[in-house]
Amino acid sequence: MIAKPLVDELRQVVGKANVLDSAVDLQLYQYDAYLEERRPDAVVFVHSTDEVAGVVRACNKYGVPFVPRGGGTNLSGGTIPRQGGVVLAMIRMNRILEVDLPNLRARVQPGLFNLELGTALAPLGYQYLPDPASQKAATLGGNVAENSGGPHCFKYGVTTNHVLGLTVVLPDGDVVTLGGKAPDAPGYDLTGVFVGSEGTLGICTEVVVRIVRLAEGVKTMLAIYDSIEEGSQTVSAIVAAGMVPATLEMMDQLVIKAVEESIHCGLPLDCATVLIIEVDGLKDDLDAQVRAIVDLCTAHGAREVRVAKDETERAMLWAGRRGAFGAVARITPSYLVCDGTVPRTALPKVLRKVAEVSKKYNLMIPNVFHAGDGNLHPLILFDWRDADQKARVMKAGMEILELCVEMGGTISGEHGVGLEKIEAMRLVFSEADIRSQVRVKRAFDAKDLANPGKMFPRLEEVRRAA
Amino acid sequence: MQPDAARLQRQLEQIVGTEHTLAGPNATVKFGVDGVVPGLVVRPGTQDEVANVLGACADAEAAVIPWGGGTAMGLGNPPRRADVAVALDRLDRIVEFDAANLCVTAEAGVRLAALQVTLAQKREILPLDPPADTRVTVGGLVAANLSGPSRLLYGTARDWVLGMRVALPDGERIHCGGKVIKNVSGYDMTKLFIGSLGTLGIVTEVTFKLLPLPATRAAVVGLFPDLAGAADVVRRTLESVLLPEALDLLDAGAVTLAAPRLGLEAPAGSCGLAVAVAGSPETVERQVRDFAALFREAGGRATPLPDGRSVLAWDTIRNLLGLLPAPPAVRVLCKIAVPIGRTSDLFASAAALGRRRGLPVTVTAHAGSGIVWACYLLGPEAPSDEALADALEGLRREAEAVEGSLILHDAPASLKGRVDAWGKPRDGFGVMTRLKAEFDPRGLCNPGRFLGGL
Repeated sequence: MIAKPLVDELRQVVGKANVLDSAVDLQLYQYDAYLEERRPDAVVFVHSTDEVAGVVRACNKYGVPFVPRGGGTNLSGGTIPRQGGVVLAMIRMNRILEVDLPNLRARVQPGLFNLELGTALAPLGYQYLPDPASQKAATLGGNVAENSGGPHCFKYGVTTNHVLGLTVVLPDGDVVTLGGKAPDAPGYDLTGVFVGSEGTLGICTEVVVRIVRLAEGVKTMLAIYDSIEEGSQTVSAIVAAGMVPATLEMMDQLVIKAVEESIHCGLPLDCATVLIIEVDGLKDDLDAQVRAIVDLCTAHGAREVRVAKDETERAMLWAGRRGAFGAVARITPSYLVCDGTVPRTALPKVLRKVAEVSKKYNLMIPNVFHAGDGNLHPLILFDWRDADQKARVMKAGMEILELCVEMGGTISGEHGVGLEKIEAMRLVFSEADIRSQVRVKRAFDAKDLANPGKMFPRLEEVRRAA
Repeated sequence: MQPDAARLQRQLEQIVGTEHTLAGPNATVKFGVDGVVPGLVVRPGTQDEVANVLGACADAEAAVIPWGGGTAMGLGNPPRRADVAVALDRLDRIVEFDAANLCVTAEAGVRLAALQVTLAQKREILPLDPPADTRVTVGGLVAANLSGPSRLLYGTARDWVLGMRVALPDGERIHCGGKVIKNVSGYDMTKLFIGSLGTLGIVTEVTFKLLPLPATRAAVVGLFPDLAGAADVVRRTLESVLLPEALDLLDAGAVTLAAPRLGLEAPAGSCGLAVAVAGSPETVERQVRDFAALFREAGGRATPLPDGRSVLAWDTIRNLLGLLPAPPAVRVLCKIAVPIGRTSDLFASAAALGRRRGLPVTVTAHAGSGIVWACYLLGPEAPSDEALADALEGLRREAEAVEGSLILHDAPASLKGRVDAWGKPRDGFGVMTRLKAEFDPRGLCNPGRFLGGL
């Protein structure tokens, strides 16, 4: 519980109606798309940078932790207030403040949904490139906090490559503008450090992003395989041929089946895997690129390659991919998404191992993933009411992450560390590595109030210092 | 030098070997920065040795100046102190070139051009193209955040670094990132070190993401009677779907330098615009056609350069300012960064400053990226430091008025005494100061050279 004077101050900052502290209301903010829960002590709806600063200053004064929350699509427990405190609901700060075409930048508030920015830019002939699959419900502030990826990052990079400036409320309540429309600002690249910091360094209240023209042409293909091995070998073959498709996405049989049952987008139910491959850019060589890719797919065992004939067919293919997590959720009450990432050529081996892990723990594990990036998403299905299953799921997940690290990869490609992968951090980082990251945390947040208890395993030194 | 200099020298000799330790002003003078000369120079041969050197220097409270290829040693303010220069030229191994996964790991002392030669053997490329790439090292590229014309299409170091190893000021070694292209495991520590100019530690190894080498390249060079025509092409290019690799503006001084080397005849006072395109033969041919048409419509004379000639031409353009007399000849090289749409305004102002003050000036700009490079030669007729400082501050105010910046990449130390190399620190400096205190509490790494005296 937090002190009454703090609640009163919060009400003064944002108005009475914008502070929730009844048990029923708080219950709605105790979970995200991960598996754990913790109830906040208050939820505050904020509408401006000033309000955010006011809330943070009040929290700082009383030494109470705070956690910003966007769409709540987080898959690693990033928005769960582990130590209670105040959740700032950012969702009403959802305006596009400026579309600046001559400078190829847009300035937006953090509560804007990713897709809404795309929808606003498209009629102008422009786009914002990062496109997480959850873009309908994921906010740009959340994208910044998690350094979100998406299907198009093989060619275009992730959120950090497209965020050039931020307005940030620091954990002491100070408001700073970092980076901006001009490149190469003198000093340390605090914008780059902040992106992907999972709410642990402060709260961003404005984001300056790069926008680019919509590609002149796009071609989307669906390659169908009877063996998952052949599908993943095709991915390496396309890259080895010197091509950089916009996307190289893969779904296995279990996912295809789930997607077909829920979305009916015409995927074949009897295949082992499909690849969704998209090329974009100047239209002059797109047909030639499609021909070359179709040939490579066929040479590597594809039984059929469909090329979307028009925008409707293309949208259908993408609806299937974007709806994959939702569709899989129909099979069992819960799933754990692994987010391990490996060098692309290790994919066939990792997929074989995932199948072994599935057998070993007697768990169903459908796979949908960003094959071009080597970013796996095995979805470990289970029933959360079954404690034994849950324990097996956690073990299976850890085993897959260990495997990814062994192959030269890492524990998270785009979903973040959050609560979920705190201990897994030790798989990739030494004590010294983690200590150096904790130094960054201290430089921003000396009192450890911004989303505390996330990301870092407890270090001996940290324990002593505290 | 601290009183225990002799002891530190012995320790460093033990770490790197006597043959890789230089002492005495004759040996160390060329490792001076803005006239501040270190007492010792060490050349560690391994990354562990770099860390051990930093550890020993930390114990002795000795100030450390890291050296790579030396192309960015004029960048920033004069160091407050320089006790030990750490030359990284012996860290010259390519640790792993994983062509199938489009990534390479190289030690800090590997020269960029040498790295590109290795990559090209497997038809791959690191699309970062700062000037002087035969001298620029991997570590320097990252520490000074160097970039070149093709940042228009490919971005800068922050977009290509996947991971790195760093020796921290206290002698500890850490790694950040990894070798996969998506990685959100912990903070993105690589961003902290990119552009930090060695003030938080020494980058000893970098892993880069790579691209397949484009199948074809070409260039179009246009000459315009004045800036207006060229600026119009820049604006229309940025509004178009075209995807040039680079789009560089050249003022009359730059055109005079470049034209004979590109085999062009330029009327006096011409303004130049050079475009690079790369990709499949179909898209390259189309872009050459479209750009030639754009140039003509804007009143320019366009010369398309096919594959082989275009590479040489861009090599010239990228290194144009390097053709001017280099230090110790006296010059001021500034980098102005502004929002993309303001590039030609600042380009014009930088050129006008030279004319107004009677200084020979050469200005180029990465016009689609908001970067202007201005080089002023200070001959015997040059205005006083005071007048020059005044003029540069005026130009800086103009850049800052549009949220931009002006930094000194090279300038006489006497001028740096009057014009801060970075300008006044702005928002976030409190956090930067605390970061510096966390990583380098005694202020021993490149002390004083960075923003706000960090």
